[in-house]
Amino acid sequence: MAASTDAPPGARTHLPGEPGVWVFILGDMLMFAAFFVVFVYYRRQDVPLFVHSQSTLNQHFGAINTLLMLTSSWFVALAIHSARAHVAKLCSRFFVLAFLCGLGFVVIKFFEYREKIHAGIMLTTNDFYMYYYMFTGLHLMHVLIGMGVLTYLTSIARGGDFQAKNLNVLESGASFWHMVDILWIVLFALLYLMK
Amino acid sequence: MNTRSQLLCAWSGFVFTVVFTIGFWLVANFVPPPSPNASAADIAAIYQQNTWQIRLGMFLMMGCSGLISPFIAAISLQMKRMEGSPSILTYTQLSSGSIGVVFLILPSLIWTAAAFRPERSADLILLLNDLGWIVLLMPFTSFVVQNFAIGFAILSDKSVAPVFPRWVGFFTLWVAILFVPGGLLTFFKKGPFAWDGLFAFWIPLVIFLTWYLVMFVFLRKGIIEQARAA
Repeated sequence: MAASTDAPPGARTHLPGEPGVWVFILGDMLMFAAFFVVFVYYRRQDVPLFVHSQSTLNQHFGAINTLLMLTSSWFVALAIHSARAHVAKLCSRFFVLAFLCGLGFVVIKFFEYREKIHAGIMLTTNDFYMYYYMFTGLHLMHVLIGMGVLTYLTSIARGGDFQAKNLNVLESGASFWHMVDILWIVLFALLYLMK
Repeated sequence: MNTRSQLLCAWSGFVFTVVFTIGFWLVANFVPPPSPNASAADIAAIYQQNTWQIRLGMFLMMGCSGLISPFIAAISLQMKRMEGSPSILTYTQLSSGSIGVVFLILPSLIWTAAAFRPERSADLILLLNDLGWIVLLMPFTSFVVQNFAIGFAILSDKSVAPVFPRWVGFFTLWVAILFVPGGLLTFFKKGPFAWDGLFAFWIPLVIFLTWYLVMFVFLRKGIIEQARAA
C-alpha cells in the first residue's frame, strides 16, 4: 500500500488511496447504478408524467449545486496536490473550502426541498417525485458523510505530517468526495436534464 | 482464551444464517414478500392456505435468532483486540447488535399471531401482516450503528497484523448504508422502495445474509490466528 503512494502523481499505475476504500466506493456506485437503471426503466413506462414533473424542478438550484460540487472537487484535488508538496497550510485551507462548498450544497438543497413542499409536492405525489426525493435524499446523506470525512482530512492536514501513510488516508477520503461529486453529476443529468 | 467456545460462537452466526433462510424463505415462503398493495382478502388467503408452513417457518426464524447473541459476543471479543482499551466501539456493537436481535424475533411472533387464528377477520390479518413486515424491514437504526462501530474498529486497527482485513471494514460500512432505504418503506405501497421492492427488500436481504457469511469467515480466521499467536 505504501509503495503505491510513492508512485509519482499522475502515474498510470497509481491507485489513489488504499485499495480497501474502493470496495466502498465501487459498492456505493453500484447501488446508485441500480437506482439509475430502475429510474430509466420506470420512466419508459410513463414518459409524459416524468417529462411534465421534471419541468417543475428548479433548474437554477440544480445548476448551482452542480457548480458547487465541481468546485469542491477541484478544491479537494488542490488539497491533495498541496499535501504531496507538503504544504500543510494550503492543504488544510483547500479542504475547508471544499467543506464550505458541501455546506452550500446542503443549504441550497434545503431551500429546494422547501420550495417543493410549499408547492404541495411530496415523496408520494407521483413516481417521478418519489425518485427525486429518494435519490437526492440518499445522495444528500452521502454529502453529509463526505463533509464528516473532509473534517477528518482537515485535521490530518493541520497536523502537517504528510508521510506515505497519511497521504494514503487523504487520498482515500478525497476519492470518496469525488465519488459524491460524480454521483451528483449523474443525478443532475438524469433528474433535471434528461429529455 | 478459550478458542473452542469462541469458535462455537462464530459458528452460531453461520447456523443462524442457514436456519433463518430455511424458515423464512423455504418453509414460510415469505420470499418474495406479499405486496403491500394487496387487498385484505388476498393477504388473509395467504395465511389461511399456508397456515402450517407459516407457523413452522416462524418457529424456525424465532428459534435461530437467539444464535445472533453469541455471534455478536464473538465479534466483540475480536473487536476488543482491534481497539485495545478503552473499548467503546466494542460496547456500542454489543448493545446495538443485541437490540437488533429483537427485530428478528418480534416479526416472527407477530406473523405467528396472524397464523394462530387465520379464520379471523381479513382486516386484522392485514394489520398483523403489515406490522410484521414493518418491524422486520424498517428499523435500520441499530443495524447501522452496529455496522459503523464494527467498520470503524476494523479501520482503527493499527497493529502490524490486523485482526480483519481493511476491506472488510469498508464493506461493513457500505452494508450499513444499504439498510437505510428500508427505513423509508412507510411512504410506499408499490415500487422499488416498497417493502417488496428492490431497495427495501431484495438488496437488504441479500446483503444482510452475505455480510453474515463474510463476518463468519473472517471471525473464524481471527480467532484461529489469535490462538496461534498465544
